[in-house]
Amino acid sequence: MGMDFAVIWRNLPYLLEGLLLTLQTALLVILGGTALGVGLGILRTSRLPVAKQAAVAYIEAIRGTPLLVVLSVVYFGLPPVVGYRLGAYQAAVVGFTLFIGAYIAEDYRSGLASVPPGQIEAGLASGLSRGQVLAHIVLPQAIRRMIPALFNQFVRLLKFTSVASIIGVMEFTGAAMTVNAREFQPLPILATLAATYLVVCSLLSQVGRWLNLRYAIAA
Amino acid sequence: MRGWRTVRSLATAAAILVAAGWATPSGAQSAPEAIKARGTLLGGVKYDTPPFGFVDQDNQVVGFDVDLVKEVARAAGVGVELVKVTSPTRIPMLVSGNVDVVAASMTHTPDREKTIDFSITYYTGAQTLLVPDKSPIRGLKDLQGKTVAVQQGTTLERTLAALAPGAKVLPFRDYTGAWLAVRQGRADALTGSYDIMRGFLRGAPGFKIVGEKFSVEPFGIGVRKGDAAMRDFVNRVLRDLWASRRYHELYRKWFELDPEIPIPGAQ
Amino acid sequence: MRYRFEWGVLWQYRRALLHGFLLTLGLSVAGLAGAIALGILLGTGSAGERRWLRIACGGYVELCRSVPLLVHMYFWYLGLSALKVPGFWCAVLALTFYSGAFVAEVVRSGIQSVPQGQWAAGLASGLTRRQTLHSIVYPQAARIVAPSLAGIFSQLIKDSSLASVISVAELTFQAGAIEGVTFRTFEAYVGVSLLYLVIVSTISQITLFLFHRRAVDMTAYV
Repeated sequence: MGMDFAVIWRNLPYLLEGLLLTLQTALLVILGGTALGVGLGILRTSRLPVAKQAAVAYIEAIRGTPLLVVLSVVYFGLPPVVGYRLGAYQAAVVGFTLFIGAYIAEDYRSGLASVPPGQIEAGLASGLSRGQVLAHIVLPQAIRRMIPALFNQFVRLLKFTSVASIIGVMEFTGAAMTVNAREFQPLPILATLAATYLVVCSLLSQVGRWLNLRYAIAA
Repeated sequence: MRGWRTVRSLATAAAILVAAGWATPSGAQSAPEAIKARGTLLGGVKYDTPPFGFVDQDNQVVGFDVDLVKEVARAAGVGVELVKVTSPTRIPMLVSGNVDVVAASMTHTPDREKTIDFSITYYTGAQTLLVPDKSPIRGLKDLQGKTVAVQQGTTLERTLAALAPGAKVLPFRDYTGAWLAVRQGRADALTGSYDIMRGFLRGAPGFKIVGEKFSVEPFGIGVRKGDAAMRDFVNRVLRDLWASRRYHELYRKWFELDPEIPIPGAQ
Repeated sequence: MRYRFEWGVLWQYRRALLHGFLLTLGLSVAGLAGAIALGILLGTGSAGERRWLRIACGGYVELCRSVPLLVHMYFWYLGLSALKVPGFWCAVLALTFYSGAFVAEVVRSGIQSVPQGQWAAGLASGLTRRQTLHSIVYPQAARIVAPSLAGIFSQLIKDSSLASVISVAELTFQAGAIEGVTFRTFEAYVGVSLLYLVIVSTISQITLFLFHRRAVDMTAYV
C-alpha cells in the first residue's frame, strides 16, 4: 500500500475532466431541478385535488427514497418499461433532477409562505386572474426568497454527484476510483478527493451563508 | 411526511405506474435494425477485468472483449459506445436494453440460455486460484476453512462451492472488489478465469497462480433472447475474424499466446 | 413485446429483503449512535469558550460534511484497509463521521440557543462549567434539537444505501442481488424503495408523536 502521490500527477487530465463533469452535472441538475421543483410546488398548492394528490405523492415518495435507488430505477429499471434507453450520464442527470426536484418543491413552499398574503388578496381584488397573480406577484418573490435554499441544494448536489460513479459515470469520484482500481493508491487518491471536495464545498457554503443573511427568510 | 395519507397517495401513484407500464409497448425491433437506426452499437464490457475489459494507463477502456465489440461495430458500419457492466449487471442490462451486446468474460451456460442467447464460443478459459506469494495454499484441497474472493453472479462462484465446500466464499460486485480483498488480506485467495488472473498478475508482483485449472469456461457474446438476426450477425463477424487472421492478431495482443481452439464453423 | 410486471418476485425473495431490511436498520441505528456521540463532542467543542477548540472542532466538522458520504465509505474500506475493518463497520464509521458533522452543527446551535441566564444561574449555584453543561444546558438543548435529530436519522437511513457499494448486504444490495437473478429490475428497486419509505415514514410518525413537531428536514443543513 503505497503513498505514491505521483499517481495524481500522472492522471491529472483524467481527474480534471471528471471534476469538470461534476460541476457541469450539478449546474444542469440545479436548473432542471428548480424548474421541476417550482412546477411541483405550484401543483402542490393547486386547488385541483388530483394535481395536488399527484404532486404530494411524488414528493413524499422521492423524499423517502435513497438517491442511489432513484438512480438505479432510472438507469436499470426504466428502459424495459418505457422502451427507451438512457445512457449512464443521461440517466444520472434525469435521476438527480427527479430527486432534487422533490426537495426544491418544499423550498418553494417556504418561499411561497413568505410572500405576504395581503399582496395576493390585493392582486385578486384588482381583477387579476389566479394565473396572473401567480406569474406576476407570487413567483418572482417566492423564487427570490428561494435563492439561499437553491444555493444550498447546489452544494448538496456537488456532493451527490459522486453517487453517479456507481452507475459508471466518470465524474470526479468515478474517475478517481477508476484510477485507483488500476493503480491501487487509495490514500493519495482519497486525500485528493477529500481535499478537493472540501475546498469547493466549503467555499460555496460560505457563499451560501452570506446569501442566507442577504435574503433571509423570516423563520 | 403524512403517514396514512402518504400510503394512499403512493397507492395511487403505484396504480398509475402499473397501468402506464402495461400500456406502453416496448420496441420489438431486432437489434441490428435498432443499431443501424441509432448509428451506434452499445457494447457492454467490463472495466475491471484485464485483459478482457479494463482501463489502461491512459484511462482508456481496452481489452480483448472491447476489441471484439469494436470489430462488430465496424462490420455493422456504426460507431461504438462502450457501457460499463459488471458480472451481476451484464445480463440484466442486456435484457433491459441498456446494451445491445455483452462481451464481458461471460461463460456460456445452459442456465443463462434461459434468459439470453449466446454467440459461438470466442474464447475458452479455465478457472484457477490466485494467492499471495507466501501463501501455503497450493490448490483446491488447501482451501478448507480459507476465504476465497469471487465475483457475484458468475459460474465461478458455483464451481468453487461445488469443488471446495469447506472454503468460505466472499462474493463481490465486481473484480475490483474481489482483487482488492486479496491484496488487502481480507481474503486468502481469489478465483477467476486463468487469463484474467494473469492479467492481474501483470500489474502486481507478490502474487502467484497456484493449482490446476479446474472447470472449463467457454465465453460467448451475449445478445437478447430470440434476436436471431443479431446473434447470426455476431457469429458471422467472429468467423470472418478467424478467417482473416485478425482474431489471431487480437488474441496474441492480449494473451501473448496463439489461439489453440478455432472459432466454431470458421474456415 | 410488452413489459409484464412480476411483483411476485418481491414475495419470492422476501427472506433476502428481510435480511437487507435488518442490516439497513442495524447500520442506521449504529450510525446514529456514533453520529450522536461524535456530534455532541464536536458540537460542544465548537460552541465552547476556547478559541482553538472552536476552530479545531469547527474545521473538523467542515471537513466531514464537505466530503461526500461515498468518499467516506471508500476511505474506511479502501484507504484504511490495513485496519481490515469489516464492511459493515466501515459503513457505520462513514455514517458516524458524515452524519456526526451535521449532528455537531445542530448541537452547536442548540447549545448556543440556551439562554445565557441558564449558564449564569448554574454557575451562580456553585456548579462547575461541566456540571452546568451536563445538567442544565444539555437537557434544554436536547429538547430544542430533537426534531432535527429525527431528520438526521431519516437522512441516515437513506444514506445507508451507499453501504451496498462496499458490499454490505443491506436493502439496496439485495435489490441488486434479486435483480441479478430474476431480471426484474424495476420491481426489485421500486419494491426496495417502498421499504425505505416505510421505515422513513415510521420515523416521521414517531417523531410527530413524541415531540408534537415534524422532523426537521436535513436540507437546511446542506
